[in-house]
Amino acid sequence: MEEIKDTFLHPVVPLDFQNNYRVGAYLQRYLDGFKEKKILGAKCSQCGRVVVPPRKYCGACNLVMEEFTELPQEGTLENFTVGHVNLEKGQWKRADAPYVIGMVRLDGAANAMLARLNVSPADARAGMKVKAVWKDQVEGEHADLDCFEPA
Amino acid sequence: MEKKVAIAGFRIAAAPDLETTRERLVFDLSKGLLDDLGITRDAVDNFVFCSNDFMDGRTISHVFIGPAAGGYMKDQTKVEMDGLNAMIYASMGIISGQYDVTMVVALSLTGSQASPYLYTDYSLDPTYDRQLKLLNELSAAALEARSYLTAGGYPEELLDVVAAQDLKNAAANPGQARRIDGVSRERIKGSPYYYEPLRELHCYPPTDGGCAMLLVSEKKAKELTDKPVWLLGMGRSTDIYYLGDRDLSTSLSAAQAAERAYAMAGIKDPASELDLAEIMSLFAHQEPLLAEAMGLLEKGKAAAAYEAGDTAVEGRMPINPSGGPLGAHPICATGLIRAAEAARQLRGEAGENQVKKAGVALAHGQDGVCAQQSAVVILGT
Repeated sequence: MEEIKDTFLHPVVPLDFQNNYRVGAYLQRYLDGFKEKKILGAKCSQCGRVVVPPRKYCGACNLVMEEFTELPQEGTLENFTVGHVNLEKGQWKRADAPYVIGMVRLDGAANAMLARLNVSPADARAGMKVKAVWKDQVEGEHADLDCFEPA
Repeated sequence: MEKKVAIAGFRIAAAPDLETTRERLVFDLSKGLLDDLGITRDAVDNFVFCSNDFMDGRTISHVFIGPAAGGYMKDQTKVEMDGLNAMIYASMGIISGQYDVTMVVALSLTGSQASPYLYTDYSLDPTYDRQLKLLNELSAAALEARSYLTAGGYPEELLDVVAAQDLKNAAANPGQARRIDGVSRERIKGSPYYYEPLRELHCYPPTDGGCAMLLVSEKKAKELTDKPVWLLGMGRSTDIYYLGDRDLSTSLSAAQAAERAYAMAGIKDPASELDLAEIMSLFAHQEPLLAEAMGLLEKGKAAAAYEAGDTAVEGRMPINPSGGPLGAHPICATGLIRAAEAARQLRGEAGENQVKKAGVALAHGQDGVCAQQSAVVILGT
C-alpha cells in the first residue's frame, strides 16, 4: 500500500470537564482548624497512631478514628528533594530557581506531610527541626499553611 | 504450583513515537503473534486487555481494540494499569479450567499521544495532594530515591552506576525505545536534574509501545510450542496510598508480592535459586531498592553488588538484562514486557544480552506512586 502521512486530530468532545469532590467531614475539620492556625490530626483508638491530615479510617486497624487531636507546629524534616523543574499539565518546565520540598513529621504524628520548605537548597538537611509558617490572612484553605522553615 | 499455564509466545513493540494508532498497534502485535505460532484467532478463547482510559482519552477504551486483536464475539475483559496484573488475571482463567488459550494485550501511546506524567497527576488525592500541587510522579520518585540512598548509606553515584548498566543492556536490545550507544556514567551524571537526586537519564523515557502474550494450558502448550515457559508462582500486594505513611526506603508491596510468589513456586532462597530478574524500575534507584525488597540483593550491599558486576548479564544475579524500563516504559505494558523479556531469556533468545544459565526467572510489575502496588511472577523452563 502507498505510504501516507498521518495527521493528529483533537477530539471533538474536549476533556476539559470538571469533577466536583466533596471534601468530607475530616478534611473539612482540618481546614476549619487552619482558620485558627491549628493543625489537627486524627487518633486511632486501637493503635494510638495520630495521622495528619486527619482521615476517617485507620488503614492498618480498619477502624473509624473518632478522636481529633491538635498537633504541635514543629517537627522534623525527614527527607527532601530539590526541584529543578515544575510539572504543569503533564509537561515539565525548568524552574526559575531550585526549590526545596520535603516530608515533615510533626512532633507526635505517626506520618509525614509533604510541604514546601523556606530554606535554601544548600542549607536543607534531613533531620533538621522545622516549624510551620502561616499566611498572614488565613481563609480555611490548604494554602493557609504556607511552608515550613528551620525552627 | 503444577505446570498449568505456559507462555506460548509474545511480541513487543516500543519506540519514542511508533507513528501508529492504538488499533493498528494492537492488530500488528496480536496478528503477528498468531502468525508466529501458525494459528488463527479461532484458536483463542479469551482476550484480556490492559490499558488506561484516561491515557487513551476515551472511556471503556478496549471496546475499540477488541476487534483489532481478533477478539470479535469472544470473552473480552480489561485490567486497568500494569500488564503483569493482566497476565496474572488471565492465568487464573486457565488455572480454573475455563479457558485453554488466552491473548493478553497491553499498550499505551505515552510517547507521542499523551503525557506519561499526567495520568499520575490525576491519580492523586483530589482533595489534598492535587490541591497542594507538590506531589507528582517525578517529585515522589525523587523523595523515594533520597530515602533509599540515605537508609542504605549509598552515594548519589549509585544511580549513575545502575542507569549505566541498564542503558548498556538497552542499547543491545532491539526491543527497546531508548538505545544510546556507548553511554557512560559521566554522560548520565551530566544529564540535567529533574528533582534531586534524579537526573534525566535516571528516569524512564516517555514511550509508545505494547506487548501481546499468548498464555496457554499445559495441553495446548505441547501443541503450540517447543519452548514453553511455565508460570511457577505469582503474588500481589498493595500498600497504603499516602507517601507520608510509608517507609520509602524500601517497598513493602514488592516484598510481600515476592514472598507470595516464592511460596507458590517453592523458592526458599531467591538470591541463589533465581537465575535472573526483570524488574519494573521506572527510575534508577528503584532497581536496587526493589531487588533488595524482594531478597535478590542483600540490604545495604547493593552498591558493592553493582560495582562487582553481580547484576550484569554475566553476573551472579543478572537484573534487567533487557535494559529494563529505563529503555522503554509504555505505561500498562511495562510489567507484561518484563515477563516477556524474562521468557525471552528462558527460551535462550536474548541475543547479546543472553544470560548463560537461565532456568528460573522473576518478573516484577508495579502501579501507583512509588510502587504502591506490586505484582511478581516466577517463570521457569
